[in-house]
Amino acid sequence: MSYKKIERMTGFMRLNHWVVAISMVVAIVTGLYIGHPYYQSFIADPAVDKYVMAWNRLAHFIVAIIFDVSSIVVAYLYFFSRFEKPYKKLLPTLKNIKEFFDVLINLLTLNRVKKFDSSHTDSFNSIFFFVFHMMLIWMLLTGLQLYVHGLASGISSIGAWWPWILHVATDWTLVATGGTNMDVRLSHHYTMYAIIVWVMFHVYYQVWRTIFWKEGDISIVVGGAKYVKE
Amino acid sequence: MMEKREALAQMFSAKGSRINTNRGEAYYNNLMQTMTLRLQELEKSPAASKVSIEAVLETEGLNRRDFMKWASAACAALMLPSNFTPLIAKAAELMNRVPIIWIELQDCAGNSEAILRSDSPTIDELILETISLEFNETLMAAAGHAAEAHLEEAMHTFKGKYLCVVEGSIPLAMNGLYGTIGAKGETFEEHLLRVAKDSAAVVAVGTCATFGGVPAASPNPTGAVGVQDVVKGKAIINIPACPANPANITGTILHFVLTGQVPELDHLNRPKFAFGYRIHDNCERRAHFDAGEFVEEWGDAGAQNNFCLYKMGCKGPMTFNNCSIVRYNSGTNWPIGAGHGCIGCSEPQFWDKYAQERPMADTHFKAPTGGVEKTVDEFGLGLLTAAGIGIGIHAAASLIAGKKEGDE
Ligand code: HEM
Ligand code: SF4
Ligand code: SF4
Repeated sequence: MSYKKIERMTGFMRLNHWVVAISMVVAIVTGLYIGHPYYQSFIADPAVDKYVMAWNRLAHFIVAIIFDVSSIVVAYLYFFSRFEKPYKKLLPTLKNIKEFFDVLINLLTLNRVKKFDSSHTDSFNSIFFFVFHMMLIWMLLTGLQLYVHGLASGISSIGAWWPWILHVATDWTLVATGGTNMDVRLSHHYTMYAIIVWVMFHVYYQVWRTIFWKEGDISIVVGGAKYVKE
Repeated sequence: MMEKREALAQMFSAKGSRINTNRGEAYYNNLMQTMTLRLQELEKSPAASKVSIEAVLETEGLNRRDFMKWASAACAALMLPSNFTPLIAKAAELMNRVPIIWIELQDCAGNSEAILRSDSPTIDELILETISLEFNETLMAAAGHAAEAHLEEAMHTFKGKYLCVVEGSIPLAMNGLYGTIGAKGETFEEHLLRVAKDSAAVVAVGTCATFGGVPAASPNPTGAVGVQDVVKGKAIINIPACPANPANITGTILHFVLTGQVPELDHLNRPKFAFGYRIHDNCERRAHFDAGEFVEEWGDAGAQNNFCLYKMGCKGPMTFNNCSIVRYNSGTNWPIGAGHGCIGCSEPQFWDKYAQERPMADTHFKAPTGGVEKTVDEFGLGLLTAAGIGIGIHAAASLIAGKKEGDE
């Protein structure tokens, strides 16, 4: 029995994946510190030259910016990927809906039933990733709303357009979450947990596929390809 | 409590809180002219109140120099160029020409108290003593039908000219019967609507009048709301805080006296000159915040060394107000200066969302799923546990099923 190698992710896509994964860990570690500083700064320097909170906030924003950029890349790949273009799998066509449920049934029947082609991206995973990207965008918008609170003067070192555009783009999150600055912050924090749950399931599911489908799915994100029986 | 229509209007009305303080010579010349004309006009009208600021200052042992110092500070606070100082002084002297009807609804009268009870009143407070209070339920001697007649008369005489100042929230539950006033047993809602109708503008003073405040705290038994939820189609100026800072009340009224208009407002109808600052960005403890130096317990070494109060529940990062700059009680001090965190008193729903003595992440809120109040982290850990159990069951079942398959 021989295996066919199927390319699934380019080197760049894999790099993007791991950058996002690391950024996520950093965002969680620093975000939780911002919400409740959980360690003391045992640095003997005076306040003026140790920036424990400021460093945490800086790291949080830097990974946030990396997220921004990677999200734009991913959004681009939805339409212009060399492989199966994810947006085609998101459209609610009969074929996609059927595939979505076939994959779900496969998961729920513990791989007893498998009635779809697992060599390429499937509708179930596409929708699952789409949910992730929506949550990331939500983090971005609520995060930027929290950020613009610090630009109360309406000016910034790069010009007044910056706070202006942040207000225009994110003020609706205030209304959407309940009307107060605190609601936005709570939502930012709650969504973090939703994202962690997402990550837990994502990792589990990829390992599960690897074990039960026996097609080496986990290596997609490392070597870029999976191996399907011919 | 926010209505959909308002929510929509609010959605894209972001203006930031920046005030353009350099609008060019033509603009300021024009403004100066308008203001001068308006003050001349006012000067001709009879003083509605006999109390003059000169007399009041004299009894308090303050001289003209103190007064002019105040005027130049007020001028800066209103973000006007310094050559407007004499106009400000003039306006303060003419404060007794602007009729004000001050009504008292569901509240503790703390805003009036804050102005009236200080033992070394600031000039801001003294000026509020000279304003022409045509009607004020807390202060006046008249009662019952006499008070009613007095209100009618004031509203009639100054129709369309008076400022309607409101203190306190409006209870709407049980048809408003939680609060009635006067000999006829008018509900607060009817009372407010009647007085606001013929006013030039409505000024909501204190957080109860602006956003419902403490009376509107969950579960809000009286259905309390702020003025802007009741009065429609009128210029409304919100001056929240608990209590509202007398400097901000005076500033707003001064602005009205000078221009006949309401000052520039933010998306919550708060004057930008007062609420365009975030507490956290103008806080003397900010260096300790950035350094990660926090008070961990009341009276600990951090507290003795003025460390940041974030972990004691300071809500300065989410609160917009100028008390970190103008302070309270003649600029003596302000809450954070005195060692207690900000409780977000100038923000909507402050009692439910901000006024806890712990950081947001440690506060018990209603969880998104309802049920018992939890902290965000408790809720999140619950979510993670549930996900972990689900995954565990699926993994175990998969393994057992896989084994069986192998046995076959
Ligand atoms: C998935 C990624 C992210 C995670 C897991 C995350 C997590 C968190 C957490 C837990 C907090 C603390 C909230 C609290 O309890 O007060 C926080 C705060 C914050 N986050 Fe994020 N965040 C993420 C992305 C972002 C993004 C994209 C931005 C955009 C700039 C952002 C900006 C902020 C800001 C401004 C704060 C408040 C910091 C402060 O006021 O000092 N975050 N974040
Ligand atoms: S005391 Fe409050 S407002 Fe001041 S720096 Fe700390 S968190 Fe910010
Ligand atoms: S520090 Fe905060 S709670 Fe205290 S008066 Fe100022 S805005 Fe209100």
